[in-house]
Amino acid sequence: MNARPARPQRTHRSGPRPPSLAGNLWTLAALLLLLVLSAGSALLRLGPFNEVANLGIAAVKALLVLTVFMRLKTDNALLRIVASTGFAWLAVLIALSLADVLTRQPLLAPW
Amino acid sequence: MSTVERVPPPRSYLEEGYGLRSWLTTHDHKRIAILYALGITFFFFLGGLAAALVRLELVTPAGDLMSAETYNKAFTFHGVVMVWFFLIPSIPATLGNFLLPLMIGARDVAFPRLNLFSWYLYVGGGVFTLLCLLLGGVDTGWTFYTPFSTLFSTSHVLLAVVGVFIVGFSSIFTGLNFIVTIHTLRAPGMTWFRLPLFVWSMYAVALVMVLATPVLAMTLSLIALERLFGVGIFDPALGGDPVLFQHFFWFYSHPAVYIMILPAMGVVSELITAGARRRIFGYRFMVYAIIGIAVVGFLVWGHHMFVAGQSMYASIVFSILSFIIAVPSAIKVFNWTATLYRGDIGFDAPMLYALGFVGLFMLGGLTGLFLAATALDVNLTDTYFVVAHFHYIMVGGAVMAYLGGIHFWWPKITGRMYSEAWARFAAILMFFGFNLTFFPQYILGYEGMPRRYHEYLPQFQVWNVLSSAGATILGAAYLLPLFYLAWSLRHGARAGPNPWDARGLEWQTASPPPPHNFEQTPTVTEGPYAYR
Amino acid sequence: MSARTHPVPEQFDDPVQQREAATLGMWAFLATEVLFFGVLFAGYTLCRVMFPEAFAEGSRHTDMLLGTIETAVLLTSSCAVALSVREVQLGGRRAATAMLALTAALGIAFLVMHGFEYYAEYREGLIPAIRYTQQGVYARGMEIFYCLYYFITLFHSLHVTVGVLLLGVMAWRTWHRAFDQDYHTPLELTALYWHLVDIVWIFVYPLIYLVGRSG
Ligand SMILES: [Cu+2]
Repeated sequence: MNARPARPQRTHRSGPRPPSLAGNLWTLAALLLLLVLSAGSALLRLGPFNEVANLGIAAVKALLVLTVFMRLKTDNALLRIVASTGFAWLAVLIALSLADVLTRQPLLAPW
Repeated sequence: MSTVERVPPPRSYLEEGYGLRSWLTTHDHKRIAILYALGITFFFFLGGLAAALVRLELVTPAGDLMSAETYNKAFTFHGVVMVWFFLIPSIPATLGNFLLPLMIGARDVAFPRLNLFSWYLYVGGGVFTLLCLLLGGVDTGWTFYTPFSTLFSTSHVLLAVVGVFIVGFSSIFTGLNFIVTIHTLRAPGMTWFRLPLFVWSMYAVALVMVLATPVLAMTLSLIALERLFGVGIFDPALGGDPVLFQHFFWFYSHPAVYIMILPAMGVVSELITAGARRRIFGYRFMVYAIIGIAVVGFLVWGHHMFVAGQSMYASIVFSILSFIIAVPSAIKVFNWTATLYRGDIGFDAPMLYALGFVGLFMLGGLTGLFLAATALDVNLTDTYFVVAHFHYIMVGGAVMAYLGGIHFWWPKITGRMYSEAWARFAAILMFFGFNLTFFPQYILGYEGMPRRYHEYLPQFQVWNVLSSAGATILGAAYLLPLFYLAWSLRHGARAGPNPWDARGLEWQTASPPPPHNFEQTPTVTEGPYAYR
Repeated sequence: MSARTHPVPEQFDDPVQQREAATLGMWAFLATEVLFFGVLFAGYTLCRVMFPEAFAEGSRHTDMLLGTIETAVLLTSSCAVALSVREVQLGGRRAATAMLALTAALGIAFLVMHGFEYYAEYREGLIPAIRYTQQGVYARGMEIFYCLYYFITLFHSLHVTVGVLLLGVMAWRTWHRAFDQDYHTPLELTALYWHLVDIVWIFVYPLIYLVGRSG
């Protein structure tokens, strides 16, 4: 076994500090409230805004889980970048293939 | 070449254990690299055999050697094996695995067990693919286009898809390992802008592997489900859209080209600087170009679909983006040339491979611009022009660089020098054989010969015979290293730690390196390529 | 086996580096998971653009009430697993184990409820290739909707199953003092995985259950 560098040994307690209990419970409450909101708004006749509300609320919920439960808010910045990269690449996949489908000459369905 | 006898080095990684078991259960990245190298070499020659059959059939215009179905299976097998079992893992899994920790001054990769598991996945995927071959093969082409692959093909599509699916996980885990290793295990003083370009290219390639491969895996699963249950989203008779398949497939498969070529660029940057005794010209530009290629490479996939029924407007966007990606590639070629300028260039075998790479990559890249132009592409789609273009990139580019890298780091990996004369001869033979094989295919494609047919019009015969003759030479050139490299293992002169007098951490440790790479964790005080 | 004697593998300098590597690796893996599911969501988006009415009609055939309850269950389980990590960090072994057990139980409840949904759909003849009896102008487009519904939810349920198994192992190890304030990386990673499963469902819910409800 070769020598370890002279860097001082750091201990395990380096991760994000434990979050507060109240913070977690409030987040759960917010998530459940958003769920009710989302179900309720879906029943209203809002036209295209139904979809905006659906996806907007989902995005907010996902952000809450990411930042609070998954601790992205307090953990190191690199993890925030990695997490956003996954979603950004998915956005590219959807956006550029939509660019095709939305601008195509409409094809008649075969039935 | 300095072949100074050295005091017997400390126990090297090769002496960690001798039995088969010590290899199959190893966690040492260097040994895993060698396991990969064995698998990759096997599949390279297997895929080469399929290519030989294809070229043999094409010597005469009539389809006389094999039936159309057999021919389809031959080129499909060639494509599947060469893409997923040779090119994608070639440089990352062998040279990358071996060198990455050495180059950043680490003791191993971040997750050694996962690394070994990746190799087993590679083997597992390989077993399915071989099984597919033994049971009769698959005839869809390596692209598995729907609806042929889901509705009409009667060959073993499922087995092939499962094989590729499994090997995809192997590359995801390799990529993941590399990303984490580069982020967390750099030696003290090894800042991001002191990383050798090879490490940067491994980082970029790992990014592509991690972000693109899941899309392929899921798309292939959709094919499998559609084939099994007869329902899905790609079947036009059910209202689905086969073009969706092409979108998803090329979202992976275009970046996959960069999985093949980015590592090659990294290798060549090392070979050229060491061979010309020069600092790399424009290091930062090279880094930005690598990352630029990896990212923009995700935005151009639609250039494979100009005639597939994709909307005209999307095609225009994809065409423009495809032109843009030529810019970072051109920067790299420019910087390599500028590095060579006034260099103290030695023409050792690795340098010959590197120079071969630059020339062939340039030709392949420029013809890629032809294909990115929508109007021209309509004529050239599915002709031999396309075949020639991507073989210039993948065989002329990636394979040349892979072999150049194998030669350059051979003394580090094995502790032995190979026969320089034979190596130079093989490199030159390869260059000529390659051009003779594939340049005629540009002309054939330009004249309108379509790909993937086992017979053709008589007026194309001259160029086809030339191409097949070239393939014979190329095949011989590929076999040569097998012999002289194997010979060197026993009879080659012993190599010192740094036979090329090269910079880079990997040359500061013994050849072959000790199990944990360095006697003392190195501290880095200057940037890479401290030549002149 | 005690956490205090947990050895640092030799490629790492110290426990901090080890944790950094492990969490970064997990997040990179989660990014690939996003793209795995992403293909299905992309397929959903493109097909929905082609057949908007059929997708709305298909969505109206799903069980919105059950879907909403399932969402609530998963959200709660996510909170529970987050609390279990917190408890371990604070040294509360019992509470942490209980939280993990609760999380796993909620996961199982989710699977059972989803099983009921599948059974109802079977009786209604909504399962493409197995029992699909829909007629009418939207029948074909709905078949595509239900194909995607099954691909997405089955793949998601597979993840839930894996998650439940992992949570079980973690509960067992927590109970047997494998983790403490200093060392609990495997638990942390399992929690991250479980949260991702939750996030996927957060998007499944509006896209599968809530389309065309107001029509
Ligand atoms: Cu491409």
